[in-house]
Order: sequence, then C-alpha cells, then structure tokens
Amino acid sequence: MPRIVPPEERQFALVLALLATEQGLTKEQILSTVDGYHQKYVPNGDNANLERQFERDKDTLRELGVPLETVDAPGQPGNNQLQSYRVSKGDYELPGDIAFTPTELSLLQLAGTVWREGSLSGDMRRAMIKLRAAGVEPDGPMLGYAPRLKQLEPAFGPLTQAIERREAVSFPYLRPGRTVARTHTIKPLALFQFRGRWLFMGLDYADHKLTFLLSRIVGEVTFTRERFEPPPGDHSAEALRELEHLWQRNTATVAVEPGSDAAIRLARRYGGTADGRLLVVHYSDLSLLADELAGYGPEVTVLEPDHLKQAVVSRLEATEWAHRDADAAAGGAA
Amino acid sequence: MSPRPAFASDRLAFLLSVVPYLIDHPGVPVAEAAEHFGLTPAEMQAQVERITGMGVPGATKTYGPEDLFDIDWDALDDEGRIYITNRVVIDDAPRFSAREAAALIAGLQYLQAIPGTADTEALAGLIAKLSRGASATPPAVAIDRGVADDALEVVRGALAAGVRVEFDYLSARGARERRPVDPLRLESRDDVWYLRGWCHLRQDLRNFRVDRMENLTATDAPAEHTPDEIALSETLFDPSADDLVVEVRLATSAIPGFAEYLSDDSKLVPDGDGFVRTSIRVAHFHSLKRLVAAMAGLLTVVAPPEARRAVADWASAGVERYRNARAEDG
Repeated sequence: MPRIVPPEERQFALVLALLATEQGLTKEQILSTVDGYHQKYVPNGDNANLERQFERDKDTLRELGVPLETVDAPGQPGNNQLQSYRVSKGDYELPGDIAFTPTELSLLQLAGTVWREGSLSGDMRRAMIKLRAAGVEPDGPMLGYAPRLKQLEPAFGPLTQAIERREAVSFPYLRPGRTVARTHTIKPLALFQFRGRWLFMGLDYADHKLTFLLSRIVGEVTFTRERFEPPPGDHSAEALRELEHLWQRNTATVAVEPGSDAAIRLARRYGGTADGRLLVVHYSDLSLLADELAGYGPEVTVLEPDHLKQAVVSRLEATEWAHRDADAAAGGAA
Repeated sequence: MSPRPAFASDRLAFLLSVVPYLIDHPGVPVAEAAEHFGLTPAEMQAQVERITGMGVPGATKTYGPEDLFDIDWDALDDEGRIYITNRVVIDDAPRFSAREAAALIAGLQYLQAIPGTADTEALAGLIAKLSRGASATPPAVAIDRGVADDALEVVRGALAAGVRVEFDYLSARGARERRPVDPLRLESRDDVWYLRGWCHLRQDLRNFRVDRMENLTATDAPAEHTPDEIALSETLFDPSADDLVVEVRLATSAIPGFAEYLSDDSKLVPDGDGFVRTSIRVAHFHSLKRLVAAMAGLLTVVAPPEARRAVADWASAGVERYRNARAEDG
C-alpha cells in the first residue's frame, strides 16, 4: 500500500516541481508525477477528486504568496486542460539584497504580536515563520509591551481580500440615525484605522470617493466578481490625511464637571484646548462624538455646535426612556 | 510559532523556510536550529529526516536519489549536526504574500504610537523593504499615528528603568486615590492603552487606563515586582467573583464591537428584529451606566431593576443639564 503523504508534503513537492520546470507542467503531468498526487492518480480514469485537491492546493500556495503562473498552450488560449503551471524562481525568492538587522527583526516581531486576533493572524504567523529563514536572531525581545489591534468587525477579512483582488463588493450599511440599512456597491481602495476606528474608502458607481465605518456594515460583504483597475496613489495615506484635516476643522465646545472622568479624558483628547471648565474638542464624525459624550452623562454639557447638542440630548432621552420603569417613575413622583 | 503548527499552510511555510536556513547554516547543531524555529530538538530532527524524502520528479519523471534532498547522516547521528549534501531547486527564503506584507506594514505603523520604539526613518526603510519583498502589491492597510500621550512616555521609561510609578486615578466606584504601582506591561487595544501592574494600595494586580491617569510621576523607588516574576493572563479583563451579572438586550450589529464584554460561553438568544438577549459581567454600575449611555438604541439593560434605575438616573441627570441651561438662557 502506498504511504499516505501529508498535505504539506504534497504542497511542498508541488512548489518544488513548479519551480524546477522551465516551460511549465500541465495538470495531467502534475497529477501523474508529483509526490502526493501520483500515488492516487488513475491513468485514463476518473481523477475528479484529485483535481479538486489540486485546486485547493493552488489556493494554499497563493495564500502563502507563491506566485503561480499559468501559461496557455500555443493556439489554445483559455483551454485549462492544456494550460500549464510554473513558478518563476525570481518571483518566488526574496530578493538577495533584502536582509533584516537584529533590531529590525525585533521590531517586526513586536509588529507581529499586534495581529494576534482576527483575520490577519494566520498571515502574520506565516510571515513570522518566513522571517526565521534568514537565521537572524532578534536583538532581545521588547519586553513589557503587548500592543494589540482588535479588528473585530467581520467585514475586515473580506475587505482586505477585495482590495488585494481589486474586486468590487456589496454590503448593507446603516447610516447613523437611520433604521434601515442601504446596500452599497463599492470598489474598495484602502482600509485604515483612525483614532481607534476601522474605516475603508472606495469608489462608487460614478467613481466618487466614499468613506465607510466598518462598525456600521450590518451584514455580509459579498464579492461582485467585477474587477477594476485602481487609480494610482497611496490611497490609505491620502484617506488618513483627509480625516486628519477633518478632525482639525471640526470642533465642539463642551463644559465638563471638574475632576470627573469626562474632564480627565476629554482634556487629553488629541488637538484639543482647555480653559477652566470649558474644553474645545476635535472630531471627525459627529455621531461618534455624540455617542462618546452621551456616555459621560451629567459630567459633560455640549455648548456648541447645536446639532451635536441635539444629538447628545436625544441619545440621553432615548436611554432614559428605555430604562425608566412605570412604577419607578410613579414612585419618584409621589 | 507553536511547536506543532495546527494549520497545513503554516507547516508548508515552515518547510519552505527551514530548507534555506539549513543551506545557509551548514553544520548547524540540531538543538540550535530547533530553538531558532521554536521546536524541540526531537521535532527538528524528525523534520530534517522528512525533508530528505522530498524533491522533484526528475528527468525520468520518477523521484531518483539525485532528485531528493539529502543530508550527511553520519554527522547527524554522531555529532547532532545538520549538513545538506544534496539540495533541490530552492536556495533562498520565500517572499512574503501581499497580505503578510500588509499585516507587517500596518503593525509597524501602529508601533509608531509607542514613544521610543523606532525612529520614523528606520520604519520607513523597513516598510519599503517589506513592500519589495512581497510577491504582489500589499493591499493598503494603514493605521494613523495615534495620539502621542505624554503619560505613555513616562510609563515606558519607568518600565525600562524598573521603578515604581504614582498617579491619581478614579476607581471603578468613582473615588479618586493616589496609586503607587509597579509597572509590569503596557498593553493596548486599538487606540486605548492600559498599564498592567502591581498596585501597592490594593496589594494586587490591577489594570489602569493610561488616559485616566493624572499627576503621573516615575519615582526613585525600585519596583518590587517585575515582568519576569509575574505571569500575566492573556486577557485584559478577567472575570471576578465580585462582578455583577446584568441581563441586556443588544443590537446584533453591535455584537462585534461588544466582544470584550462577552465570554465564550455567553448565550446570545434572538430577541426580535435585529436584537439578542445576553448577560454580561460588569465591575460596578458606575461603569455600566457609562457603557449603556454611549450605546443609545443599541444596548438596553433588562435586569436587575437597580441596574436599570442606575442607567435611567444617569441619563436623566445628563438631560437635566440641558434643561437647566435652557432655563438660564430664557
């Protein structure tokens, strides 16, 4: 009986075979010769299961960043039975001039701990394994730090994939103050965190730039299969710059209760100024600020702008209404 | 890296990485290679033996001895050293995938928020290297530079110097106290930083939000408790026997952002259009009322009645401020 080849050995053999070939190997050649496949291959028979396994292995290789090339047979474009596969060594191997110093390696390891949770944690684990290939030892781990990014929103994973694949996505989005979500179809360009919130920016059908908060995506992100060519530029840096301008431009004046939690934390808010009980605070999104200020209850009072004041009052009224029991209210009045 | 990576793709990444490492380090002792990859020596030896069975289908379309990796078996058996004597196809480390590079780059950007980790120029050079070392353009994932809080710098310095810090802090019950604390770890969740340390006032481990500290100073007193002596849990908020259990109604759209209040055994019972019922643990009503008031329409306390009352009173006191202001205006 042939020995059972573990999946990683079969995939390793596949990488080696694809790197070794100059002109490429057809699927038939791979299934009939490469270790892990050929043991199960039936000449001139039904190899449907094996073909599915090959498809899954190709996905694993791509996930790992192995640059898989497909080459059409001469005069047979698109015929995937005759297509051949190869991996170019130059595209596969880390360029020779890229090396990391021990200091850089400890920084990268600390950066790696940032993504312990969520959809990029697997990618980060594999990057850490690859970093060890060079044999450099980090110059002392940075003890005493445990920085973490939460990225809890389920939309995070599909959105990074969509940006990488340059594919438009659809998702239901609930604007603040609305009760019904609207479906948007967007070509995503950048995903970024600003002041602790995950946002993403993309183009709508008319190629207008729009920015969305991930926490307001209230349902599944679906792929449209519509590919697009992104306009040139560093979109995430640009989007962060725009938000920073917005933050600088938008100000609210609030009065705080001295010594309270609100007084301590709002005075530390980035870019703000304090004058006794009066604080000027900056913001990028009025309803996020209204949520935060409502949480402080009587410790903070909004003086301006008026629509922020109204937003905070309506939140507090809604909270009181939802928590005041009829008998308690009656008791209070008596 | 855990000793036995759970995922096949992690094990493939290991095989693709260990081969160039062994080629670059001829004669490396098994124990040294094992430590470098976070394996036991026995596990490393087993991996090396397994690589020798692998290779490419050669000219004859079969796996002949010349097509397989081989090692100096005598050196392995007698001296515990690894020499690759026949190598196949690969020489260098694999490139990063686009997502791997993106995750590393965003992680580095996030570290810029910690004062003193690295200067901007060094980080920019490192980010450029990672982009060039990826097999495709990394998807744009970026983090803002964050809020440079002076307090973070003071705590970081105290941690490095091994001295106690002191600061004024509002307790969970709302009382202001001076807290002498041996710093153990600076920990963050997105843009919120916490100091985990040994509090001499409480004689116990405590977490403090850095943006709630006032009049923070690093003292000359050496810390009695140090990071290598105390094992901290991986979770920031450990359930305590004194916790209050509160039943709530929560919008399903708010569940992801609410994860830190839920535990693995939290039951989420559907409760009408877009809502679930569940129970959460809180240290005190003092923190509960703030949490609920900041999530108007998304989170409602169902029971116990005294928790509902605490929230209602808090919100009503807030509304009252505006009524008074209007009265003064009028």
